[in-house]
Amino acid sequence: MSGLRRRTGKWSFLIMLIVCGVFYMVFFDPEKIYAKALEDIYSRTRDKKITEEANLSQEMLAAKKPVEESQRLETAEENGVQGDIQGMDAVQGVVLPDYRDISEVIYTDVEDDYFSDALFIGDSRIVGLFEYGDLEEVSTFYAETGMTIYRLLDTVVAKGDDGDDVTIEDALSDRQFGKIYLMVGINELGTGTTETFLAKYAEVVNRIRELQPDAVIYVQGILKVTSERSAHGDYITNEGIEEKNEGLSQMVDNVRTYYLDVNPVVCDETDGLVRSYTFDGVHLKAQYIPLWKEYLKSHVVENVP
Amino acid sequence: MLFFLPIFFILYGVTPSKYKNITLLTGSLFFYAYGDLSHLLLLAASIVVNYFLGQHLGVGGKKNRNYKKSKAYKRKRLLLVAAVIGNLCVLAFFKGDETFGTGAALPLGISFYTFQILSYLIDVYRGEIYRDHSFVRLATYITMFPRVASGPIVGYDEVREALKKRKFNAVGLQSGMKVFVLGLAAKVLLADRIGLLWHEAQTTGFISLSTGMTWLAALAYSMQLYFDFHGYSLMAVGLGRMLGFELPENFQMPYMARTVRDFYRRWHITLGRWFCKYVYIPLGGSRKGELRTVVNLLIVWFLTSLWHGVTPNYLIWGGLLWLFIVLERQIERMGIGKRLKVLPHLYLWAVIPVTWICFAITEPEQLGIYLGRMFGLVEGINVRSGDWISALRRYWYLFAMSFVACTPVVKMIYRRWRDAKPAELILVALFWLCVWRITVEGNNPFMYLHF
Repeated sequence: MSGLRRRTGKWSFLIMLIVCGVFYMVFFDPEKIYAKALEDIYSRTRDKKITEEANLSQEMLAAKKPVEESQRLETAEENGVQGDIQGMDAVQGVVLPDYRDISEVIYTDVEDDYFSDALFIGDSRIVGLFEYGDLEEVSTFYAETGMTIYRLLDTVVAKGDDGDDVTIEDALSDRQFGKIYLMVGINELGTGTTETFLAKYAEVVNRIRELQPDAVIYVQGILKVTSERSAHGDYITNEGIEEKNEGLSQMVDNVRTYYLDVNPVVCDETDGLVRSYTFDGVHLKAQYIPLWKEYLKSHVVENVP
Repeated sequence: MLFFLPIFFILYGVTPSKYKNITLLTGSLFFYAYGDLSHLLLLAASIVVNYFLGQHLGVGGKKNRNYKKSKAYKRKRLLLVAAVIGNLCVLAFFKGDETFGTGAALPLGISFYTFQILSYLIDVYRGEIYRDHSFVRLATYITMFPRVASGPIVGYDEVREALKKRKFNAVGLQSGMKVFVLGLAAKVLLADRIGLLWHEAQTTGFISLSTGMTWLAALAYSMQLYFDFHGYSLMAVGLGRMLGFELPENFQMPYMARTVRDFYRRWHITLGRWFCKYVYIPLGGSRKGELRTVVNLLIVWFLTSLWHGVTPNYLIWGGLLWLFIVLERQIERMGIGKRLKVLPHLYLWAVIPVTWICFAITEPEQLGIYLGRMFGLVEGINVRSGDWISALRRYWYLFAMSFVACTPVVKMIYRRWRDAKPAELILVALFWLCVWRITVEGNNPFMYLHF
């Protein structure tokens, strides 16, 4: 017995390391470092895609919006007259049209105080706007680095009086805003497909509209990355961003929700972010954040029906 | 790494000691190929060529009195010069290509293994060590995976015995593991974390940083670089010990130094030692009067700068250090400030971050902006005045931890308690904490891999 103890005692550190490792992997291991590799080998022959696609189409059915809207866009283009009549109705305040063509939207310029009842929600890019847009004191920001559309409503923005977490969804139910600016999407480029992303986005926008019936919602197209960064070979590509932005631009109704795209202001001739505007190819340097802010200030919809 | 290390050590453990070098060499080549497959051939060619060069340089006796005048000696000297220049040319070619040419990546570890090969050749030539007839042994010495990528630069005489015969046992294995865990923790839990502040500063753009923020970010970068490189070196020492080697320590608490001179005796020791042995002392060191010393120092620092990179910022970095070292020598000669206790530390903590900034920012224009912002000489654009307070609020605990880790406290605690069971448990927990962080954040390669 003592011989065994002496022998194990000699190896105590290694034993502890392995025992602890087993413990870690069984109960904790978020990324399944070893398990994943084993599973990969195991499931290489199996095609998981079929089940994924099945789930996906179900989600699409649940949130049919983007599809419907793109169809509606086509009809609106075909019957320009019909669109006008709808618009007139809106001006008279009888019924709100449920869709307007983008060409009917008139933009206007505003000053900073316009943003006093504005809310900005988004990922690290919005954090940049918060820190260097000089709107910190004026507007409300619910921004967090790494935010995704999937977690947007559940993102914790404060602690309540009772010590519970206040999520964005809670905060939106408590307080009404005049305008809500959204920008998310860079972090989800690697997860899901454009369809799942747009479906979720539509769902989130609908939920926000429910909670904020009087607010104008600006869906901002995802800020692009530099062409250099885009060619890096990972999931962050400008093609992926363009695809999603295209979908986002068709998702809005131009009545309560509008699409804004700051990219033309900060992109070069290769359709990527200007190299000197950024260090990491993804985030605007503080010095150039005002370009974005000025764009927002000059793209305020005037004729909200 | 998580797959390579356990599999390798099991294989290494079951290999009979006679063939351990072959297992180690194979493992090292695998490791290198994984990191940089395209330059594996270059490494292999370099080893083969230098093996034969070593064989030739080792021929001939010193006992013959007239040897130094003989033709054989002259030929040998010529061969050494050619060998040194050849090796340096390869290094310079890739360094230059990275900066001015196609921008192709530097072969992994080339700065380190070239210097190691040179030290072997010169030592053989000088007769300080015997040439090694075993190709496998020499190749193992050069490619040994714990250190092939970023040093330490080990002299052949330091590992000669171990290359022939070394112990592989429970004591060495576990003691090495503990050092490895410390290094990993320094890298993952300190360097990578505090490095985020430096990254933030870069993302914001230097022109928009407040003066307070520039200093804080410079400090963060200083800590990041130290714990990154120190962590790597500790891991190398730990892995070496696990294999049965005693590799030299690369750092001796540099931030506890009181002069820049002292700092560089404690920072990247194996590189400083190399330059001292093969450049500074052959030039006459400090024995030929003050002026020669200053010139010799300039040469050493010029070469050190080049070793790190050929962009102008490294020259500024090296030049600044040279300047401070020369000034310190003069002050010391005048005998001023010997009794000061706190001031030298403050001086060091102010000077070193500034030099590291010159080290970090490769674009001269950006470097100018940063230094300008540090000393309030350049007008900022869209600066947020409270940025450094907000940064401090988010990073204070990392700064605190880093400062503690710069002092001898950690080492003392480690020395005292390393074999106690609770301490072992803490180390084990640290290890898995690091693994967790790595898997969550993705791999963040070592900074010194670029040199």
